[in-house]
Amino acid sequence: MRIFPIGRLRGTGIGFGLPAILLLLAFFVVPVALLLARSVTEPQLGWQNYAALLGSSTYAKVFFNTFFVAGVVTAITVLIAFPVAWALVIMPKGWSAVVFAVILLSMWTNLLARTYAWMVLLQQTGLINRMLMSTGLIDRPLQLTNNLVGVTIGMVYIMLPFMILPLMGVLKKIDPAILQAAALCGATKWQALRRVLLPLATPGIASGALMVFVMSLGYFVTPSLLGGASNMMLAELIAQQVQSLVNWGMGGAAAFVLLVVTLALYAVQLRFFDRGEAR
Amino acid sequence: MKHALLLATAFGCAAMTASADELVFSSWGGTTQDAQAEHWAGPFTEQTGITVLNDGPTDYGKIKAMVEAGSVAWDVADVEFDWALQAGQQGLLEPLDFSVIDRDALDPRFVSDYAVGSFYYSFVLGYNPASFGADTPASLADLFDTERFPGKRTFYKWSAPGVIEAALLADGVPADELYPLDLDRAFAKLDTIKSDIIWWSGGAQSQQLIASGEAPMGLLWNGRLSALQADGLDVGIVWDQNITAADALVVPKGAPDREAAMRFIAAATAAQPQADFAAATGYAPINVDSPALMDPELRATLPDAQSAPQVNADMAYWAEHRDEIGTRWYAWQAQ
Repeated sequence: MRIFPIGRLRGTGIGFGLPAILLLLAFFVVPVALLLARSVTEPQLGWQNYAALLGSSTYAKVFFNTFFVAGVVTAITVLIAFPVAWALVIMPKGWSAVVFAVILLSMWTNLLARTYAWMVLLQQTGLINRMLMSTGLIDRPLQLTNNLVGVTIGMVYIMLPFMILPLMGVLKKIDPAILQAAALCGATKWQALRRVLLPLATPGIASGALMVFVMSLGYFVTPSLLGGASNMMLAELIAQQVQSLVNWGMGGAAAFVLLVVTLALYAVQLRFFDRGEAR
Repeated sequence: MKHALLLATAFGCAAMTASADELVFSSWGGTTQDAQAEHWAGPFTEQTGITVLNDGPTDYGKIKAMVEAGSVAWDVADVEFDWALQAGQQGLLEPLDFSVIDRDALDPRFVSDYAVGSFYYSFVLGYNPASFGADTPASLADLFDTERFPGKRTFYKWSAPGVIEAALLADGVPADELYPLDLDRAFAKLDTIKSDIIWWSGGAQSQQLIASGEAPMGLLWNGRLSALQADGLDVGIVWDQNITAADALVVPKGAPDREAAMRFIAAATAAQPQADFAAATGYAPINVDSPALMDPELRATLPDAQSAPQVNADMAYWAEHRDEIGTRWYAWQAQ
C-alpha cells in the first residue's frame, strides 16, 4: 500500500523529513543567512566586525571565558552525572523512579527561578556561607557568586539532567552481569569500571558532553546573574550589541562565530564518536 | 529596565498583530508593566473601547528590525529616554501628535518631538544601615571610599545615564560642568573600586543585593528603595546629587495604528493615570499636575520633593554619544 507517492525519494527517508527541512529552512537557515549578511554589511561593507571581534583583547577574553567555562562545566557535569546515572540504572525500581522524578522536576522549574535560588544560596549572607560560618569552618564569608565559581555551580546544576538522561540511555543497555564477569576474570572494581563500563558508555558520554558543551557556549541567563561583568560570555556580548547598542553587525558576527564553532564541534563528534547501530 | 533574557531576532518572528480596535504596547515586564496595564491601559480601554495587548520585553534591536522590515508589531513602546532621542534622529520613530497629547501638562525635561516621558526616576545612593556603624554614607564620594565604607557596591549594569555621572560627581566634577562627559576620568574613578562592583541588571536584583547586605551600598532607582522602606525594611537613601533619568513612550515608525497610539500616549500621560502609576511603582509622574493628586506621604518620596541638589542627566548628550559610550562601557566592564 503506497500512501505517499514518494517515488524517487523512497528509501532515503527525505520524503518524511521534508516538512521538518522546510521548517528549518524558513525559520533557521534563512534568518541565520540574513544575520550573516548583516555582519558583513553593517555599518559598512567589509570584514571590520570580524576584525574587531577577533582582534581585540577584550573580546578575546570573552571568547576565552566562553570556552573555558563551557569546558569546566562539561567536565564537572560528566564527573557528577556518570555515577548518578549508573546508580539510577542499578537502583531498585521504586527508588530510581523517585530520584528520576526529582531530576525531571528540577528541569521543569523555571530557569530564572533556579538561577535566582542559587544567587540566594551562594551570596555572602546566604545559606551556604551562614552554615559554614556557624560550624566555624570559615570565619569570613566565601565569595561564591559574581565570579566564575558561581557561574560554574549554577551551570553544572542546570546541565546535569541533560547529561544524566543520555547516559542512562546508554547505561541501561549494559548488562550488569558483564561487571560480574569482569570480577570473575579477576578485575578489580576500578579495572572493571575503566576497562569494561567506561568504554561501553563512551558514546553516551560523548554525546551528552557535546550537548552540554554546546548549550553552555550559548548560555545567557545564568552567567549573567551569577557571574561578574569580567566573566562575560559570548551570549551576553551578543545581547549587549543587539539589544542595548542596536549594533546588528557586531552582534551578527559574534553569533556567527559561535555557530561555526558549534557546527565544527558537532562534526568532530559525528566523525569520532557516533558509532550508530545502523551503520 | 532591561530584562534581556533571550536574544530574539525580529526576523520571521510573527508577533501579535492587532485588529482595528486593538493596540499593542511593549514595555519591560514585571511590576512596571503590570502597573502600566492597570493604571494606563485600563482607563484608556474604558474611555475608547480599544483593547491594549501587552507585549515585551522592549528590545531596541527588535524595534529597529521591525521598522526596517516594514512590519511593526508594536504601536507604543516604553523605552529609555536617551535611546528615544537617538532613535528619533535615526528615523525609527513617528513624530508625536501634540494636538492629541497635551504637551503643556508634561514636565519639559521629558518631552521631545518623538518622545514624551513615561515616568521618571532618580539614581540615588542606597545603603543598608546594618552593614555600617554610626558612620553612614552621605554622598556619592562615599560610594568610592572603600576604606571608610568597606564592602561591595552595586551599580546598574547596562550603559545608561547614571553611573558615569555619579563617578564624575564623586571625583569632584561640579554638577554644572558634567557635560561633555570626561569618560577617561570617569573610568579611572570606576577603576578604583572595580573589584568591589556587583552589577545589577534589573530593579528586583538591586533590591535583593541591598536588602541582604550582599552589597551594602549602591546606586539604585529611588522607587526601588522607597518600596523596600514601605515593606518595613531598614534602608538608607541619600538624595544628595540624585541623578534624574526617564523612560519614554514612543511610536515606532510605521506602527499599524498611529492614531490609537497617540490617543494611548495622551491617556497614559494624563494626570490621574500618572499619579496612580507612581503610587503603584514608586517611580515619579511626568505630568506636572499629578503630584497634587498623590498621597502627601508618597509625594514626599518623589525626586523633585527633595531639598537635596538634583542633577539632571543630559539626555540629548547621551542620545548623541550613546553608541560610543556604550561600546566603551561594555569593553571596560569585560576587561
